[in-house]
Amino acid sequence: MSALQPSFEWKKYLLVFVITAAIFATAFYAAARLNDARLTELRAAESQISIDLLSNETQYDLLGQLSCSDIARNPVLSDQLNAIANQLSYAEDTLGANNADVIALKKQYSLLEIKDYLLMQKVAAQCGVHPVFILYFYSNAGDCSDCAREGDVLTYLRQTYPALRVYSFDYNLDLSALKTLIAIRGVKDRAPALVINNQGAVYGLQTVPKILSMAPGIKKLATTTAQVASESAR
Amino acid sequence: MLYSNVHMTAGTLGVYIFLFLALYFEVFLLVSFFEKRPLGKSSGRPSRYPSVSIVVPCWNEEAALADTITSLLALDYPREKLSVIVVDDGSTDNTLAVANRFADHPQVRVLSKKNGGKYTALNLGIENCDSELVGCLDADSSVERDALLETVKKFEENETTMAVVPAMKVLSPRNLLELMQAVEYTLGIFFKKIFDNLSAISVLPGPFSIYRREMFAITGPFRHAHNTEDMEMAFRMQSHGLSIQNAHTAIVYTKVPRTVSGLIKQRTRWSQGFLLNSRDYKHMYFNKRFGHFGVLVLPFGLTMFVGAMYMFSYILYHLIASLVNRGMTFWVAQVPFRMPTFHFDWFFINTSMLTFLIIATLSMTLAAVLIGRRMAGANFGTGSLVSYFTIYGFIAPLWLARAAWGAVRSKESAWR
Repeated sequence: MSALQPSFEWKKYLLVFVITAAIFATAFYAAARLNDARLTELRAAESQISIDLLSNETQYDLLGQLSCSDIARNPVLSDQLNAIANQLSYAEDTLGANNADVIALKKQYSLLEIKDYLLMQKVAAQCGVHPVFILYFYSNAGDCSDCAREGDVLTYLRQTYPALRVYSFDYNLDLSALKTLIAIRGVKDRAPALVINNQGAVYGLQTVPKILSMAPGIKKLATTTAQVASESAR
Repeated sequence: MLYSNVHMTAGTLGVYIFLFLALYFEVFLLVSFFEKRPLGKSSGRPSRYPSVSIVVPCWNEEAALADTITSLLALDYPREKLSVIVVDDGSTDNTLAVANRFADHPQVRVLSKKNGGKYTALNLGIENCDSELVGCLDADSSVERDALLETVKKFEENETTMAVVPAMKVLSPRNLLELMQAVEYTLGIFFKKIFDNLSAISVLPGPFSIYRREMFAITGPFRHAHNTEDMEMAFRMQSHGLSIQNAHTAIVYTKVPRTVSGLIKQRTRWSQGFLLNSRDYKHMYFNKRFGHFGVLVLPFGLTMFVGAMYMFSYILYHLIASLVNRGMTFWVAQVPFRMPTFHFDWFFINTSMLTFLIIATLSMTLAAVLIGRRMAGANFGTGSLVSYFTIYGFIAPLWLARAAWGAVRSKESAWR
């Protein structure tokens, strides 16, 4: 005995396809909205840092000198910059390096880094502190296989010595201030490139021991943020 | 670097495709469930009691056989209408002696034969009965008292029904692996009911599938069928357009493997059987002549098989690549290992489209499990659910890969 087969329910297959596509569309929309929220948070953070930097620079212009005690109140401005760096890196991985919003945020971030770098050089001269500066030039155009590892090295050093000032720049970023900095420091297009304490650029992967030997002053830096704050206050 | 980027994008595209297909299948099943929700157990009894023979094929089951026979004899069914045929398939332990302890029982017959495989034992039992209905019960299984009544009521609903399959639960799950399988079997209860709604049941499980004896005149007897005679019989019935129904209120308990190796061995046999039976019945794939069985169940079964192995390979590849990369960083760049510190920041939570789709897929699976649990009155807690959703993903690909390899080499998997 054979069971009667009903006529085939093509409409049901179509309905299910529509529902499944709607689920996909919802997932896409949710992911896009959250990415927008991330970019908004990044813009807000950069805006706050920009205000803080501008405040310090304006104070310098007004008084003709920098208040070292005010620097003590913001000893870890670079911590905020590093936090943005992590977020920006995550956004770049998520949204892609060619995303217009990401590129705009990177440019603003790079400008903030340069301003912080210049300000910290004035602080070093005036307040008797001896920070160690590392300018790090990388490329994510697919022509730098050692850049990810160099990033890990500098992240390790930064975590071990919070007072270490590491400023990372995308060599290929179309930003005039960055190009000027590159020209001043004489950095060639051979990423990864490091400029330690304004000395000549070194190229290729620099390991942890190598960097410590090039800049022995790093080992004398504070290893906790509390130490960094108290040393800046003296 | 550019090539590896393209390569990875193609890999991720594969993940999205399989996720779409998995979601499609789950949505289809859930829509089918809500179209025709299963009714609860009715209190009525059948209008008549057809004669029933239950064949118990056994090989080296001295420990479990007595309980199996006892549970059959305790069935709520007229004694004169129920007979139990124990077929010893050349056991080398005391199985035959255990069976013979029941030989004097008016409802029990004991047959013995040379070892030839489960399907030969089943066929011998069927040949030696003349009842209207004939079923089988594996020697490591037991039945609830009203299981046969619920099954017979199902046959009564439609005279074209040729076979009825029960709802299977795990007998006394204790360790983590058994608890995981308890959840899996509950999901199976859901699948069976939905496939019943779609007239697309794809396997007639050994424990307590009941057939109209006249059906074997149409289909022929059980075959070796790559050690999955229950699956092959379902395929064969579907190819003949014969109706298989599910009595979700007929509850059967079965023992499950307690070790990982035992589980992998069992599932390799089932999975390899699916692949080889699919090869034998490939004419049914995408053939709307066979209804949802041909257009949905078979193709999606195979797709999910391939998809599961693909996803596992994808995850494994990325995990290994990440570990190798980390290792190289520590070695080449001499970055000392440091335990990562965790602090919650919503910014870094993975909220990609892929994450939401995986959550949607797992949520629908959870919904199916909970529906199955409600249907069968199963009782397992959060721990079982967690073990299912975590352990299963690691173990299942192992037996799928073994089954695929075995199928490609057409090497028969071990029965026991």
